[in-house]
Amino acid sequence: MNFLSALTPLQWLLLASVPPAIISLYFLKLKRHPVEVPSTYLWTRTIEDLHVNSIWQRLRQSLLLFLQLLVLLLAILACLRPGWRGTNLIGDRFIFLVDTSASMSATDVGPSRLEAAKKHAVGLIEQMESSDVAMVISFSDVPRIEQAFTNNRSALRQAVNQIKQTNRRTNISEALRHASGLANPGRTSEAGTSDVQVADALPATMYIMSDGGVPAVSDFAPGNLTARYIKIGTATPKNVGIVAFSTERNPEKPGQLQAFARLENSGVEDVEVDVALYLDGGLVDASSVTVPIDAAEGVSFVLNDIESAILRLEVQSQDDMSLDNEAFATINTPRRARVLVVTLGNDALKFAITTEAAARVADVAFADPAVLETKEHETLALAGAYDLIVYDRCVPKAMPEANTLFIGRVPPAEGWSAEAPKPSPLIIDIDRLHPLMHLVELGSILIFDSLPLKGPEGATSLIDADHGSLLMIAPRKGFEDAALAFELVGAYPDGEVNAKTNWPRRKSFPVFVMNTLRYLGGARASLAVQGSQPGQPVKLRTEAVADQITVESPTGVRTKVQRESQSTFVFTRAEELGVYTVREGAEREAGQHFAINLFDSRESDLVPREVIDIPYFDENTEQVGVHASLAEPGRKELWKWFLIFGLVVLLFEWYVYNRRVYL
Amino acid sequence: MSSTQSATPLLSPQLLAQLERLELVSRKIFRGRLKGERRSKRKGQSVEFADFRNYVPGDDIRFIDWNLYARLDRLFLKLYLEEEDLHFHALIDTSASMDFGDPTKLHYAKQLAAALGFIGLCRADRVKIEALGASRKNPAPALRGRSSMWRMLDYLNSIQPGDNIPLAQGVKDFCLRNSGQGILVLITDLMDKSGYESALRYLLARNIDVYVIHVLSQAEIEPAVTGDLRLVDCEDADVAEITVSRPLLNRYQQTLAAFIDGAREFCTRRGMSYLMTSTETPVEQLVNNYLRQRGLVR
Repeated sequence: MNFLSALTPLQWLLLASVPPAIISLYFLKLKRHPVEVPSTYLWTRTIEDLHVNSIWQRLRQSLLLFLQLLVLLLAILACLRPGWRGTNLIGDRFIFLVDTSASMSATDVGPSRLEAAKKHAVGLIEQMESSDVAMVISFSDVPRIEQAFTNNRSALRQAVNQIKQTNRRTNISEALRHASGLANPGRTSEAGTSDVQVADALPATMYIMSDGGVPAVSDFAPGNLTARYIKIGTATPKNVGIVAFSTERNPEKPGQLQAFARLENSGVEDVEVDVALYLDGGLVDASSVTVPIDAAEGVSFVLNDIESAILRLEVQSQDDMSLDNEAFATINTPRRARVLVVTLGNDALKFAITTEAAARVADVAFADPAVLETKEHETLALAGAYDLIVYDRCVPKAMPEANTLFIGRVPPAEGWSAEAPKPSPLIIDIDRLHPLMHLVELGSILIFDSLPLKGPEGATSLIDADHGSLLMIAPRKGFEDAALAFELVGAYPDGEVNAKTNWPRRKSFPVFVMNTLRYLGGARASLAVQGSQPGQPVKLRTEAVADQITVESPTGVRTKVQRESQSTFVFTRAEELGVYTVREGAEREAGQHFAINLFDSRESDLVPREVIDIPYFDENTEQVGVHASLAEPGRKELWKWFLIFGLVVLLFEWYVYNRRVYL
Repeated sequence: MSSTQSATPLLSPQLLAQLERLELVSRKIFRGRLKGERRSKRKGQSVEFADFRNYVPGDDIRFIDWNLYARLDRLFLKLYLEEEDLHFHALIDTSASMDFGDPTKLHYAKQLAAALGFIGLCRADRVKIEALGASRKNPAPALRGRSSMWRMLDYLNSIQPGDNIPLAQGVKDFCLRNSGQGILVLITDLMDKSGYESALRYLLARNIDVYVIHVLSQAEIEPAVTGDLRLVDCEDADVAEITVSRPLLNRYQQTLAAFIDGAREFCTRRGMSYLMTSTETPVEQLVNNYLRQRGLVR
């Protein structure tokens, strides 16, 4: 039991002067009002026996005085703020870091870990002296300063109470940087003089209210910051969560679709769960899976090929976290890339680009280089009407608002150049990891001559030859330009126009063309829409040219997204988990869907960690990392009870005064 | 306090009409000085036949029923109901304590005395209304007959409060100066610190029908007082300091009830009629109901 004075000495002095004042007023008030009565005969007889025990009577008549003094005593006690069992606050500057990541929504401590953390933070705020200052930061993968340094406890309390649960992952490093910013002010250094500290270092104590599921932070210097980690959560939570869910076409059986999911169990025993797969809301398959402790278990479903659908996977188990019991995947109608091939005539290219497979991913149009001179083409190219323009042996006047592939020419963009053609380049290396070169084998390919290419800053060489790069790709304002250093068909020195390489006869050529259509064309294969994690930006493309799309969140919140400089749309408000619907322009029909899933093993692992792995030397444990303090309950305060009792006594005093009740 | 009541007449015309039908009753057999309208319990001379009895020598032969003698050949005496007058005394306490209440107890006492006196006047009784202790300064007239009503009212109106003589002394004075039998109505609040018992004992000594009408104001029955008070007795300036509380008020009620019960028991044991009334009870109601029940009027 200890006391926290709520008043300053002067205020105490004022309060202490009240009881003598009440007592003196009580003696002063004995002036009685004279009233003439017919006879005091009956009154005298009435009070006669009361006088017999007059001392007792006087005591009884002083009931009001006693009650008033009792009310005052209770008020004084309330001002002393008696209480017990508090986590003692250290220092006079505090930073409360409250974890709002997805794992804090777990309900193993009721009502949720976040609420418990908030309660704890409020408990600590209650213990602050009036001169103490504190700030409140909530963090998930981004920090958020809920309340800057203040000594206003009600503002701090309000800030803590307004902290909202997020579905995001955890990353404490930014929050730590925010916290250390004021404790460790920067230094300025001038040549020839010693360091000048720009502000006084203000040591502060940081209380991290978290379950500890944070990735290790390496680049953080605590300096004057003392860290305390208050572990929220029980040691034996129950949770089976979906950490991955994706769909793939079965490569062996065309027309079949496979859905894969991975489940993880962070509980203390093996759990058998039912997993159900819903297609557009209807149950299509279910299976029972036993997930061992601290291990993952895969589950797969086979579906018939679907053009467009929303798949929902549900783990039907009652555990402490519901966010990861559901996962979504979307299958959108494939959108074909819009490709323009500007060529004087190239049978090999035309043959490779008009295959059945290519037609599935792209709408290809052919044009004569003469079209480059027209105003109409210029407008279309600048409006983003094409995803990819292939310039075969020709160059535009200005770079279009599209990805480009130049064949045998240098892109007329900044940074691109080439030396004079050199004969018979020998391929030395190819970048097999780049999507353009996926499954492209270039052995035994003969090339008549090539332009040793030099690309702009950021350019990547995909095919290196002895004379220089044969294929380079470079970014440009969100687009990518690829340049093939040799012509497929071209004029020989004798003037004859013929094939200048035997690559088109190799199997790798159509593969390269398909890769080009897929990668540079931005063709979104039906299953290729990658879901994103909450809080991450989602990049969207539209079927037709549109300036604006509307994205509807799972809870029906509509957001309008304007087109970026290229024909992509970046949606940044994907905070909710579930399936988002995209409507293009003024269309009412849902154009496409994308899913936001948690998919994070760390968030799904609910076991609270003992240590937060940051470069901090814990003096208590003499170890690196912030070790968990026992999550002691907040200080138990009695002042409210004293105040309530005081009010009851005051009420009773009022009753006694008005009804003249003497016990 | 009394200023408001001075304007209101002691007897209203309606009350007068009611009172005319009533008469005073005495429970005791006594002899009046004059033949009155009152039917005595004695048999005597009047026109109203009561009974027969055998003649014995010495009886007045004027009352022998000669018709019966003719028929039966025996002598019978005819008895008649005797009618005689009644002495009615109303004794009003005029101490300062009677000048309280709304209407004041004194005014109420005057009204009551006037009402009873009027009944007596109507029945040709001898009516004497007197204020306690006033006999020396302003002797009360003895009245008889309806025509005296105005004199009675004048006298009543002339009675002023403030004669703070003890109740016992006032009654003793009265007893010394008035002999004879009849009805005595003592209208008082009995608020005498030396006690009312000795006063009532003086009356006992007379063979007289005594009615004690104990008048209390509403302020005495249910005092509406609050706070810390210094109560000052209007008669002797005695002071009682009280802090009003519910238990104190309850205790006052108990004391009052004990006081009334004591007075009632004292009177009942001694053959006196006791009636407690509040000034809130209309005089009409008191006369018509309560006093009728007690047998003072019929």
